[in-house]
Amino acid sequence: MQSNNVAATIRQTLASGREKTSPYVPAAKRYGRSTASWVFHYLMLFGLAFVFIYPMLYLISKSLMQSSDLSDASVQWIPKELNFSNFKYAWEALDYLPKFKNSIITSLIPALVQIASCAFIGYGFARYRFPGYTLLLGFLLFTFLVPPQTIILPLYIFYSDLHWMNTYFPFVIPALFGHGLRGALFVMIFLQFFRGLPGQLEEAARIDGAGALRTFWSIMFPLARPAMLVVFLFSLVWHWNDTFEPSLFTTIADKFNLMQSLKVMDGQSQLQLQNGTAAMTGDLTGLVPTFANRVMAGSLMTILPMLILYLFTQRYFVESVERAGIAGE
Amino acid sequence: MKKGLSMRTRHYLEGYMFTLPWVIGFLAFMAVPLARSLYFSFSKLEIKTAGLQAHYIGFENFRKAFTVDVDFTPKLMGTVSGLIFNVPLILIFAMFTALLLNRNFKGRMIFRGIFFLPVIIASGTVLTKLREDGAANLPIFKQYDLASTLSSIMPVELVRPLLGILESLSLSMWDSGVQILIFLAGLQSISAHLYEAAKVDGATPWEIFWKVTFPMITPMILVNALFSIVNSFTKAGNPIMDYIMDVLFKKNDFGYGAALGWIYFLVSFVIIGIVLYLFRNSLRERG
Repeated sequence: MQSNNVAATIRQTLASGREKTSPYVPAAKRYGRSTASWVFHYLMLFGLAFVFIYPMLYLISKSLMQSSDLSDASVQWIPKELNFSNFKYAWEALDYLPKFKNSIITSLIPALVQIASCAFIGYGFARYRFPGYTLLLGFLLFTFLVPPQTIILPLYIFYSDLHWMNTYFPFVIPALFGHGLRGALFVMIFLQFFRGLPGQLEEAARIDGAGALRTFWSIMFPLARPAMLVVFLFSLVWHWNDTFEPSLFTTIADKFNLMQSLKVMDGQSQLQLQNGTAAMTGDLTGLVPTFANRVMAGSLMTILPMLILYLFTQRYFVESVERAGIAGE
Repeated sequence: MKKGLSMRTRHYLEGYMFTLPWVIGFLAFMAVPLARSLYFSFSKLEIKTAGLQAHYIGFENFRKAFTVDVDFTPKLMGTVSGLIFNVPLILIFAMFTALLLNRNFKGRMIFRGIFFLPVIIASGTVLTKLREDGAANLPIFKQYDLASTLSSIMPVELVRPLLGILESLSLSMWDSGVQILIFLAGLQSISAHLYEAAKVDGATPWEIFWKVTFPMITPMILVNALFSIVNSFTKAGNPIMDYIMDVLFKKNDFGYGAALGWIYFLVSFVIIGIVLYLFRNSLRERG
């Protein structure tokens, strides 16, 4: 106990001089911790990380299995033989490339549009006070809170009247006005970010004769890169995974995105399963064939593009979240 | 071009210019649809050749939801009780994880990457699929036959809800990626001087957490609570949401569906109101 404290004090003294300059070093490091504390820390981390990685492992393991492996009690995680036939099947069943293209269009374009529009609007909310400001801010919060189901029917009628069904407009046009999927949240993220920036930059630009728009686009917008990255990734992933709006506004199979296609594939395999079990009612082995492996392979393939993107951006993403200060207030 | 205007008018005009797109969008994609759905909820809608025809029927749809419809009320109660249960769980778990990640240790970036993974996969179809397939039940519980072990040491009435929590634990955990992120950002913004001052005054880590860390991240708890509530009210696989979509687009009972949507909205609003009330002190302090 005693020696531990001494060691901690020494470590602390050594560390304090070096680390005072960096504000981002967590407090824990500065006050040395006991070994037991670190063991506990890593144990907790590994335990939790396992829970988080579990669904991924599950997806990968199941999608590599054959139907015989699924009903084999001796097979838990490792398939008896390495076989990629499920992926081949899913590739065709999902109609991958055309649906991938649709997914890209209905998520990449809204995400990029939301960056621009939500930054513009967020800047207005962050830097200007005008009559009706509080009311508008209240509306912004309100918009965030309204469940989309409440207004989905009028929106559906509205978009039908505009002949927007089976086009990309329902995803892009609301985004253009800072709405669309969680638009209000993204406006708030930019609002928070711009509030945190010092005002001197703009004052300098204004004194040099730049107008409000010019100041925004050439000075403030480029500074918002951390917030942009956060909004871009969230928007892209949420649009990519969304089936609620696409299932209403996109009814032609050709225009389906990957997630809708996955739902179709899942439905088909359930159907095959029912037919299959109906055909073998005479079979008393109790073994029910499932196509879960194929659906898991399909699931993995639909989220794979996002996983790859995340792999490359996660470093910047996490740092950006810290810097963007999305939790500022 | 605005030479003749006073500084203040010009400031106002620029403010309106920046927020105008949002206001237009709000009217077109929020206010008008909301008003229309309110109107629908008090009407009986029929599809005629001339389009949708609405007859005013007063509170009939709302009465039907709570008296005639046997499916709606249990589903609503289920969603609300699930929410009351899960949101605190998510908050505690997310804060705990954020505290773990906030330390400086080897492999920090890798662990962070892992903990935000659910943000990528935990929304939508894939997660629903995984849950149906039983991936949410961690093998640990099955292997050690937790149910019988627990029932041998405590009353059955306690075991069942406890097992329920454990089973939904991994699901709540996968739902907390964004919340961990927000807590972590909040923890990072706490000034190191506060910790130093507390340490100099001889505070234990336990005291430091409750007297420094916790008060400093109270606003983040509010943000996270709101986010979790909104998220669980709107996420895919929510039974109420599926039910409303069923009524609207399969049974084509538009007026009734609109009424259900409004009831749902009001319930979520009341819950959010309660949360804001609970946090009123922290809100007032910040003005």
